[in-house]
Amino acid sequence: MELGVAILLVIGLAVFTVTPLLAPDGPSEDALPIDVTPLADLKRRRMVVYENIKDLEFEYKAGKVSNEDYNTLRENHLAEAAQLMLASQEQEEITEHDLMIERQVAERRAQKKARHPDPYVCPECEFENPLPVKFCGNCGKELPKRTRGK
Amino acid sequence: MNQVGAVGLIAALVFAIYGMISGAIAGKFRSPRMLKSAQRAVLGFFAMTTLAVVSLEYLALTNDFHNSYVASHSSLALPLVYKIPVLWAGQQGSLLFWTWLLSIYVALAVLLNRKKNRQLMPYIIAICMGVGTFFSLITFWVANPFDQLSLATATGITPYAPPDGNGMAPSLQYHSMVIHPPMLYLGYVGMAIPFAFAMSALLTKQLGDNWIRVTRRWVMVPWMFLGTGIVLGGHWAYHVLGWGGYWAWDPVENASLLPWLAGTAFLHSVMIQEKRGMLKVWNVVLIILTFFLSIFGTFLTRSGIISSVHAFAQSNIGPWFSVFLAIIAAFSLTALFLRLDFLKTENRLDSVASRESGFLFNNWILLAAVLAVLWGTIFPIVSKAIQGVTVTVGPPFFNKVMVPIGLLLLFLTGAGPLLAWRKTSFQSIKRNFTVPLIFAAIVGGILFFAGVHRLYTWMSLFLCAFVAASIVGEFYKGARTRMKSTRENFFASVYNLTMRNTRRYGGYIVHFGIVLIFVGFAGQAFRFETQGLMGPGDLLRAKDYLLRCESIDTGQKANYQYETVALSVTKDGHALTVMHPQKRFFLAEQESLSHVALHSTLAQDLYVVMAGQDPGSDKAIIHVIINPLVQWVWIGGIIVLLGTLLALVPSSIERQMADLHKGREELAEAHHVS
Ligand SMILES: [Zn+2]
Repeated sequence: MELGVAILLVIGLAVFTVTPLLAPDGPSEDALPIDVTPLADLKRRRMVVYENIKDLEFEYKAGKVSNEDYNTLRENHLAEAAQLMLASQEQEEITEHDLMIERQVAERRAQKKARHPDPYVCPECEFENPLPVKFCGNCGKELPKRTRGK
Repeated sequence: MNQVGAVGLIAALVFAIYGMISGAIAGKFRSPRMLKSAQRAVLGFFAMTTLAVVSLEYLALTNDFHNSYVASHSSLALPLVYKIPVLWAGQQGSLLFWTWLLSIYVALAVLLNRKKNRQLMPYIIAICMGVGTFFSLITFWVANPFDQLSLATATGITPYAPPDGNGMAPSLQYHSMVIHPPMLYLGYVGMAIPFAFAMSALLTKQLGDNWIRVTRRWVMVPWMFLGTGIVLGGHWAYHVLGWGGYWAWDPVENASLLPWLAGTAFLHSVMIQEKRGMLKVWNVVLIILTFFLSIFGTFLTRSGIISSVHAFAQSNIGPWFSVFLAIIAAFSLTALFLRLDFLKTENRLDSVASRESGFLFNNWILLAAVLAVLWGTIFPIVSKAIQGVTVTVGPPFFNKVMVPIGLLLLFLTGAGPLLAWRKTSFQSIKRNFTVPLIFAAIVGGILFFAGVHRLYTWMSLFLCAFVAASIVGEFYKGARTRMKSTRENFFASVYNLTMRNTRRYGGYIVHFGIVLIFVGFAGQAFRFETQGLMGPGDLLRAKDYLLRCESIDTGQKANYQYETVALSVTKDGHALTVMHPQKRFFLAEQESLSHVALHSTLAQDLYVVMAGQDPGSDKAIIHVIINPLVQWVWIGGIIVLLGTLLALVPSSIERQMADLHKGREELAEAHHVS
């Protein structure tokens, strides 16, 4: 009796485990997202530096840090923050460039498509021929030679 | 229920293997569908190990002695409270228990990361389930707790159940023993999760400081359990073993100390990576080491290789563990080696006089402690293997090496927080060290004139005063500075200061607990011991205490017989208490055990053991030990626990960081939709 219940439980769990594999393709079926982009990583590191500066100021006010140390350390921290800021700007530019390049690529593709129309589609009547043919199957007009085949 | 347990074990093994493979595939092809399936396999693994654990507990609670494990670790007369710990009283059960705790940790990791760390998760599951595969394979194949007893008769093999079980070792029948092993195991097992995070970060090349930020808590929690387990073990040893001490450098004790030390090193050096982007390789190495030592500790505790120092036969899981440890080392070091390029440091050490170098020294010393303890623990095994002679390494070796190491660590505990990050000038050092050093010097002077002349003891207490003063100073200075700008009262200021940076101030509280523990250690130098034969009316003096024997009695409980002596205690002529140390004889186990009587104060414990009855005179053999300051070890332990809990509370800085992360996620989602 208990054994039967246990075996049913095992089968149930096994089914539960493999069902995600059988799910149909959906819009969510996409590669796993990256956890942290380089840009977010840089931003966080900059936040850490700001936090370090705040800490330093607090310790200075508490009398733990001498004037001399405070000044040099603060400058070091600020230099580090500036460097990170520069790096994240570069990173942002990279992302912007990426986007720009992507846009340009998309435009080029669209242009190319306009210049090199689908070889099966008749430029006259827009009929989609099922095969690369010399004459359109609908209106009989000769299809442009360079669009035929590949 | 025996068959149900066996089904649970097989199914758990299958789920673990499936989870390991599907996790790896999901990671390789970045497939969310596969990841979902792997996550469900983790839940299946959890359900099945739970089924096995419930079955074994059922068998133990119903005294089913058909089951060979229950028959050898329980008995009819065993009190009910000790039937639940039957699960971890022996090798087979405790390996199942280990597997079950792992399944809980992994299931939690999966549930808490449903939306986060999507890229890391597949390999985290794969690695944890790899560990799960090993442990469920061992529990199923080599050390199965569901083996049935049977007898070969003329008609064939028939099931057999003895009328009563062998019972549990009397020394384990003690209340802190019920929670001590689960705490230790939660500590050992939990280190698998940060290890998996680190390995997954290596495999996916996601080596920003995300993994280390996420991992910190996953180290802190098992570290806390491990520390609690160690203190409870000391408490148990102090109360039950009858020798009056809490730490004997026993191999099994050392086994739990090793990952704790490595974990402590990690929790410190991780801060340098978070704050300064340094020591990245080192941190991965420490996580690998911590996990490796956790498995090694389980191996030492459970394989019988330690008892095999005396009798080399009975270890059947030893070879399995050796292979597993070799796999862990080979896998993790290869992964680390292949990703060295991604672990470049972002900054260099600015100065030797800095917080960073303080942490670095702390790391080296902790590592030296790990090596010393490791060496002392495995030396008997090594010498047996190489020379055929078993050389035991006793407490003198450990004390000689570990006392100076402990004192250095104690000094750094106080000095580290007084150094500034990056660089500290002599002027700042003078500013911060003066008050604590003056305070420590005053305390040291008083102690010296009060008669503390032993160097190590004096230094230990001197450093305790130094560290305590520096911690109090940190809180005081911080609160005062805060009060200037917020106009809060002092206590509100301390509270808000602490809550703004729970990690730092929680850490200080942990340090304070460690100071108290060291105070307790120092007290051992003034331990006083005496013994005598006592019959009714006899007196025994131990320093200020005068013990008078009132009576000697015998009695019988469900699972043991006992002899006891009633001792009335007076101190400086005032009646203090009546103590009843017992000598118990456990019937099922045929073993005797002393049940000590204690009178504890914050200054000292009066510890009385009845070692037995003198056959010649029928008088009781009474040992009296005065243990100064022992209570501070337990109090310190509780404070360490509270400080760690505080450090686990998310502070306002961490919440900001999380918001940054969330903001990015929302942005990504919005981007995705458009
Ligand atoms: Zn046409």
